[in-house]
Amino acid sequence: MTIAVQFTDVCCRLKGREVLRRVSFATPCGAIEGVLGPNGAGKSTLLSLVNGLRTRFDGTLTVLGERLPARGGALRRRLGVVLQETALYEELTGAENLHFAAALYGAPRERVAEVLALLQLRERADDPVHILSGGMRRRLAIARALLHDPELLVIDEPTLGVDVEARHAIWEHLRLLKSQGRTVLVATNYLDEALALCDSVLVLRDGVLVTRETPAALMERTGYCLEVACADAHVAGLVEILGALPAVLAIDRTATGLSVFLTSDAAPEPIMRAILDRAPVEGMRQRAPDLAEIFAALDTPL
Amino acid sequence: MRPVLRILRHAAYAEWRYLCHTPLFVALAVTQAVTLIVLVSLFGITGAMAPTALVNHDGGPYAAQFIRNLRAAHHSFALRSDLDHLRAEAALAHGQLVAIITIPSGFSYAMTHHGGAQIIRVDVDNIDTDMTEDIQRALPSAITAFGRDIHAADIRVQVREHDLLPRDTGYIPYLVVSALVLAALVIAGILAGTMVAREFEAGTAVLLRLSPAPVLLPLLGRLLATMGVSALALGVAAGVVVIGYHLTPLYPLQLAAVLVACLVIFSLLGAALGAVVRRTLPVTSLIFGLALPLYLVSGAYEPQRFDGPLVWAVAHLSPMYYAVGIAEHAVHGFMVTPESLPLNYLALCAWAALALLVAWRATRGMVPS
Repeated sequence: MTIAVQFTDVCCRLKGREVLRRVSFATPCGAIEGVLGPNGAGKSTLLSLVNGLRTRFDGTLTVLGERLPARGGALRRRLGVVLQETALYEELTGAENLHFAAALYGAPRERVAEVLALLQLRERADDPVHILSGGMRRRLAIARALLHDPELLVIDEPTLGVDVEARHAIWEHLRLLKSQGRTVLVATNYLDEALALCDSVLVLRDGVLVTRETPAALMERTGYCLEVACADAHVAGLVEILGALPAVLAIDRTATGLSVFLTSDAAPEPIMRAILDRAPVEGMRQRAPDLAEIFAALDTPL
Repeated sequence: MRPVLRILRHAAYAEWRYLCHTPLFVALAVTQAVTLIVLVSLFGITGAMAPTALVNHDGGPYAAQFIRNLRAAHHSFALRSDLDHLRAEAALAHGQLVAIITIPSGFSYAMTHHGGAQIIRVDVDNIDTDMTEDIQRALPSAITAFGRDIHAADIRVQVREHDLLPRDTGYIPYLVVSALVLAALVIAGILAGTMVAREFEAGTAVLLRLSPAPVLLPLLGRLLATMGVSALALGVAAGVVVIGYHLTPLYPLQLAAVLVACLVIFSLLGAALGAVVRRTLPVTSLIFGLALPLYLVSGAYEPQRFDGPLVWAVAHLSPMYYAVGIAEHAVHGFMVTPESLPLNYLALCAWAALALLVAWRATRGMVPS
């Protein structure tokens, strides 16, 4: 198994503060690696070490077989980078932005049309960027990162500020890249995104790698959440019956009712039926746990 | 070579599109080049032409000749003949005049019959000693010319004038030529500096930093576009100098060459400042702030060697010194620097190479903050 990204005891300081502390992991080629953590956890710093924007660190860092900090532009040609800020020229059209980037990376002109088609942006290719929606800009930034056919794609918050439809479209593109054998390193704040995309997830907190697991293993720890909206009068009764069910990992009282955490393999229907039999509820919603809930399950509460 | 040209072409196009999106910015840049010419002309007008009343109590032919000589006295007097002595004294008291020159009655008669033993009264306001000295310098010159023109045997002013050049150069014509170099610094510097600073403000600097191409390469492409606009602005300013000020360069190609050299040097230095400052507004203020002292020390007001060895030595550190030297030669045909013309060109070439190196160093580590 070839390793695409390898961190060995990597530490990084920023303005006197240690933002990464002895981080070690290895991502195999062809995998999608998620980097999960709250704001300030060190996700963007980790990514900026990989993409070469930050060059000062301790420890050993190897990317695509090349030890960092690398000299020259050879490694940059093998990397595709999508940052939180899309870094597009607003006054240029989407196609013009891509042609400029293609010139910088020495990518053939024909690639512009190919990536526009791949990201379904062909119809808006001649619109200036400043009139494009957030989702389209994001897709355009991804298209730009793919122009030179990189071996490793480094993406920071791929679906930040985009609508649900665009979000799913972006996930689809990333899965397609994986199917083509490319490695993807993706930082995200959302577990459902990590679940949908990643082969494994790095969980960072205060610069420390808390755990590295598959999304399924992480779900096993946290389970999934069933939000129940009901009147205060019924909460105590529901806690009583739900607490007795083996599939229920934990129950939190919320302002609108309850958050019920179920084991990842539990079927939600019997639980919902039990709730409805006991009390009139205003609504129920199944969702992935949020970051606070993940960290609580990892015994390192936020 | 082709990949390099491809980057330059696309980068220049990107900047061109930006400039097309901001026509007001471009229009202001072009206008600014002309307003700088006007600005230094205003310095010249207020500094060189002392408002002086001329009260003529004589009215004879020698008085008329003397007035002609005063008017021709090296752009020193702005003569007013519309005031009588009382009104002129009131104007002098209110600071509206620098001096009153009174030609006494019987001046022409005395010049004819008594050999010119006449007293010409001069009342001078000494608030602004610079202008007072202008008057004191110019009067003997005018009297000398007067004596020569009337073939008077006994004019007793002891001033000798030896012209180094076949033609006189007015103060404003001298100034506006150096103002072209000032305009090159301001326009090229600001357009280049704001272009690079914009890369940081828009967050696109990171794209350049991440690409395998050297960061300076796409910036050079964009500089081609800003230099195009700067060249347009300087062309308009040079047109104003030629048409508006009736100054025909003796060596037009030399003037064009020095202005192109200025565009390259100041664009590269502006780009380096933009990479250091990273904000458009501060970089604009900084370039304006640097331009005026550099301009003043460059020999813009007079050949800099007149200002003492220290200022002269400092002036050598600025490319403007050499550029002003070449530009004045190109337009007026005289050398204001003791260094030869080839040496001035050599100094500008060295500055261009240094500016490229500075820009490369400043942009090489363009990591967004």
